[in-house]
Parts: sequence; structure tokens; C-alpha cells
Amino acid sequence: MVSLARKNLFQDLPRFVVAQAGIMFAVSLVTIQTGLFSGFSRSTSLLVDNSKADIWVASEDLRFLDLTVPIPLQRRNQAQQVQGVDRAEALILRGTVWRRSSTPLTSVRVVGFDPEGQLFQPKKLDQGTLSQLKQPYTVMVDRSDLDSLNVNRVGQVAKVGSFQARIVGLSKEMRSIVSPAFMFTSLENAYAYINSPIAEPPRNPPAPKPLTSTDQVSYILIRAEPGQDLQALKRRIEAALPDTRAYTRGEFADLNQRYWQKSTGVGFILGLGAAVGMIVGLVIVGQILYASVSDHLKEFGTLKAMGSPNWFIYSVIIRQALWMAVLGYIPGMALCIALGTWTLQTQAIEILISPMLATGVFGLTIVMCIGAAVFAIQKVTYVDPAIVFKA
Amino acid sequence: MPNLEKSTPVAKPDMVPLTASKAIIARGVKMTFQSGAESFQALKGIDLEVLSGDIELLMGPSGSGKTTLLSILSGILTPTSGSVELLGEKITGLSRTKLAKFRLNNIGFIFQDFNLFPALSAIENIETVLNLKGIRRGEAKRQAQQLLEQVGLGDKAKSLPRQLSGGQKQRVAIARALAGNPKLIMADEPTASLDSQGGHAVIELLRKLAKEEGCTVLMVTHDPRILDVADQVLYLEDGLISPYVPARVPSVP
Ligand SMILES: Nc1ncnc2c1ncn2[C@@H]1O[C@H](COP(=O)(O)OP(=O)(O)O)[C@@H](O)[C@H]1O
Ligand SMILES: [Mg+2]
Repeated sequence: MVSLARKNLFQDLPRFVVAQAGIMFAVSLVTIQTGLFSGFSRSTSLLVDNSKADIWVASEDLRFLDLTVPIPLQRRNQAQQVQGVDRAEALILRGTVWRRSSTPLTSVRVVGFDPEGQLFQPKKLDQGTLSQLKQPYTVMVDRSDLDSLNVNRVGQVAKVGSFQARIVGLSKEMRSIVSPAFMFTSLENAYAYINSPIAEPPRNPPAPKPLTSTDQVSYILIRAEPGQDLQALKRRIEAALPDTRAYTRGEFADLNQRYWQKSTGVGFILGLGAAVGMIVGLVIVGQILYASVSDHLKEFGTLKAMGSPNWFIYSVIIRQALWMAVLGYIPGMALCIALGTWTLQTQAIEILISPMLATGVFGLTIVMCIGAAVFAIQKVTYVDPAIVFKA
Repeated sequence: MPNLEKSTPVAKPDMVPLTASKAIIARGVKMTFQSGAESFQALKGIDLEVLSGDIELLMGPSGSGKTTLLSILSGILTPTSGSVELLGEKITGLSRTKLAKFRLNNIGFIFQDFNLFPALSAIENIETVLNLKGIRRGEAKRQAQQLLEQVGLGDKAKSLPRQLSGGQKQRVAIARALAGNPKLIMADEPTASLDSQGGHAVIELLRKLAKEEGCTVLMVTHDPRILDVADQVLYLEDGLISPYVPARVPSVP
């Protein structure tokens, strides 16, 4: 088959390039907005998703990850007794203040966990080992947060509360868009940091003491024994641990994502951007196709006069639309992937382009272009074949 | 040829003596154009018959209704009244879809301005029409090349219309009109946009077509040179066929 569609399209190259730029723009806008939304959502539940816990136990007063009241450490031991629990570990999550000599205060989120535990640790380590965190007043921060914390390498010291914090390692890809910088440390260090008054540091602070059963932590992370029904296990845990609520990891991640989506309206804002992208794309493709069809009206009239059925003409226009869709989508998506890689590395903002999103945007691009084609087809439907004899 | 047999079971021109069969019959064709409150009668009652294999010329002054008549005789326009029979089939009253199908299978068109697809090469222009008629890929390519050779442009297959002279473009258009072996060729002023040399080649080609391919050619023209190859000339004036004889047709540009 001779591709009348493709050749008609490429005949006016400048116009075609403009059209493709327009589609690329639309594709990018939709992808970036949606990708940002997914990236944002994922970011709000980063710590949760990153844990290996089947169940998160928190105070029953919890609103979301960063807004809860502490529970005593003894809940961990109690949880350990619940039938079906394989392992329980404590997690401390609290905000405090970070200061480097004369620079302004910065807020950080202390993440205290058991460096020898199995249910929580930073996603990837760039430098250092977790066992170093067992030393008093040692911490790890994320590589992407170095600038905002006014430090630039391992070994440097800052002040957290009234204690010093020596950086012994760096994590990677542990930055959340909705949280101050994470500061990873052991439970003992974390407990000392969050309970220290912001004051002049003592000359030689004693090493933090091990936590007692009445000391307060934020969460108990639970690993279930293999084959446990997590819903039933949750109920048993809640019954055994006073004033607590248990969530599966998925439920807890959802809760946090929904909280942030609702409180920031981010879904609406980014959704609006995506919709604008779609509309702009539709208008551009529609306009270009319509202009192309108008330019070639005499040819379509000639085809009609010669006896071409309408579907043949429609198929030419629809194939033009499909060419535009595919040739706009590919560079558009490439641009988004490149941009996403760049923002993740330099801004720690994730544009999450899942295969599903990529496929969805492709489908949308096709729908957009076909929609624009239907608009152009209107014009051909009413062309009078008698025009062909008019000079 | 198979197309012809499919759509016009009545007419089998090959099987009857050419002289006896009539390719085109029009009876009492009238055409009134309505635009708003005003109406204009472009054709006031045309009767005509064209024999198979003949070259029939339609001449007459500008605005006399030649193009309107050609459009009606090829089933592009529907007359206000009267009837048209092509290749033994009455086409007046057929649905739009059936008319389109009839045109596709039986009529080749040649236009004053060639109406080639500018984005397609000479051979692709012809292939597209063959594709339309259900002939695909390699076979379409082979037939298209053969048609180009038939009009003496075998070496111009890859040329785009804008790379061809007017006469060459019209020859490509003729090759395209011949694609799929239609029995009828309808041409509206095929030499009007050509210089004398280009016009000559086209006229000679049309003559050969009618004589060697057995096509019936109905042609609107102002070109007196074509008179030499015509079998019959109709002179149209004010929507009516006038009794002038062709020899006395004045030479109009
Ligand atoms: N679609 C139309 N609407 C109104 N008037 C028309 C239309 N087509 C042709 N006419 C009129 O009919 C007359 C015959 O036109 P046409 O057949 O094109 O003449 P010719 O081809 O002999 O020059 C002209 O006066 C023209 O203005
Ligand atoms: Mg005319």
C-alpha cells in the first residue's frame, strides 16, 4: 500500500515539525504531571515502603507518619509474645534541629532504628556501614541532603539538640518531598537526640543508655511468621497491645499517601496540569490535521470523484493521526525519562514513570490524535466530489 | 475487466459488436442549481447516445453546461430530472455508495488540472488508485509501471508531479485513469492547461486509447485539434445541444 497518509504528512515538513513539537509537549506535560503525582505519593510513604515490616504498630491516636504520639518500648516485647509474630523492632521517628557551627538551624527527622535489626534500614548506602551507627552520637544522612545540611562529607560533625552528631555514612535515594532531611541513627542515639534540650552542649556527654521498657518510641515494626493472615494478626496485636493500632505496610503507605494528597490538593493541581496538557495536545493535533486536510481537500475530492469509499479517505486521515501520535510520543517520553533521571539525581524529586504510566500515556496520545482526526474527518465528509472539475 | 463484469452484469461490451452497443445513453437530462432563493437551469433537456469505443467531444462556450453534463454523465452529480444509462446500467437513482462503486469500477477520470497527489511519485499516484480498486502491493506496482510505460513515462516512475512538465503530468493522470481497465474515460478539458506540444502528445494518447483499448472517451474540450480524432461532436449552448456541425466550431482558446 502506498502511504498517502505519511507522504501527505511529511510533505509540509515545517508544519509537521511544529505539530510533533506540540504533541511532544502534550505528552511530556501529561507524563510529567502524572509522574510527579506518583513520585510525590511514593515519596510520602518512602519510609514505610522501604521497611521490611509486614505490620506497622502505632499509637491509636496516629494521624499520619509524622503526626503520632509515642508508645512505650515494652509494646515491642508484648508484640513479640503475640502468636504469629516472627519479629518485632522499634522505630523512632521525630523531628529535631540540626545546626552546623554558625549556619542557620535546619530541621531534620531523626530516624532511630536497630542497626542490627532486619525490618528497617536505609534503602541504599553510598558510604559507611550500618554497624558504625552503634557508636555514640553517630549518624547517616542522605547524599542528596548534604547541601541543605551544610555538610559535604563523611566525618564532619554537626550539633543535633545539645549533642554532636558525627556523619559516619551516607544513604542514597532516601529523601522525601514532604519531610525534612532524614537523619539515620541507632535507637539509643535517636532517643538521646530527641530528648536533649536545645542548649549549650555538655563538655563530655555520656554515651546514650540502652532504652528501657518505659522509654518512648514511635512505631513497632512487625514481621509475621510465614503464612499468617495479616488481618487476623493485626487484630491479635491490637488486642494484646493497649492503645495501639496496627496497619499492614500497604495500608499504612496508603494512609500516608491519602493524607498528603488530601492535605496538599496535589492530585487536583497535577491533574489539572495533565488535563491542560491533553487539551493543548488535542487542539494542536486537531488544528494541524484540519489544516492538512483542508490543504489536500482537492485530493480527497478527486479520490471521491474516482469512486473512493469514505472509509478509504478516513483511513488516510486516521493513519496521519497515528503517525503523529507515535512520532510525538517517542520523543516526548524520551524527554520525560531524561528529565526524570535528572530531577531525581539533582533535586531528589521523582517523576515516577512506571510502565503502566508510559502505556497509559501512549493510549491517551492515540485517543487524542484520533479525536483530532474525527474533527478533521468532518470536513472531508461534506466535500462535494463535483469540486474536482472546478479549475 | 473483472471489475466490469462484477458490477455491470448487463453489459458485456466485449461480447457484442462494438458498433451495436451504446456506452452512454442520456434521456431528457435537466439540471437546475438552487442557491438560496435563486435557481438556475444549467441543462434544459439533453438527449444523447455514445457508442462504445467512440471518442465523443463536448464543445461549446464557457458556461454552456459542459462540465455539469459531464458530471451527470459520470454519476458525480445527480440530475434534477432525466435518466442516464452507462454500460447498460441505469445509474440515475443509485445510492451514493453504489454510484461511487460504479465509478470506481468503470470510469477513469482526467481533469484539466491533472489532480495528481503532489506528495506521491508518478508510480505511487497510479498505485494508490490500483490499491483503491483492490489491487495490492507487488501487483499494483507492476501494473502501475506498465501503465507508465504505456504513456511513455516508464523512466519517470519516481518523479514527483512538481518535477514533471504539464504534458507529462497529464500523461501520468491518463495512466492513472486507465488503472484497472475502466471502460469509460471522462475528461474535462484535458489539454487546456498544456502547451501545444504537451497537448499533442495527450491527444495522440487519447486516440490510441480509444482505438486500441476499446475505451469510450467522453471529453469536454475547447481544443480544435482534438476534432481530428473525434468520432462525434456535440455542441452545447445554453444548456441545450445545438445543431451546429463540428467543422463549423470556431477555434476557441
Ligand atoms: N454548483 C453550482 N451551483 C450553481 N450554479 C452552477 C453550479 N455549477 C455550475 N453552475 C452554473 O451552471 C452553468 C454551467 O456551468 P458549467 O457546466 O461549469 O459550464 P461549462 O463547463 O460549459 O463552462 C454556469 O452558468 C454555472 O455558473
Ligand atoms: Mg467547464
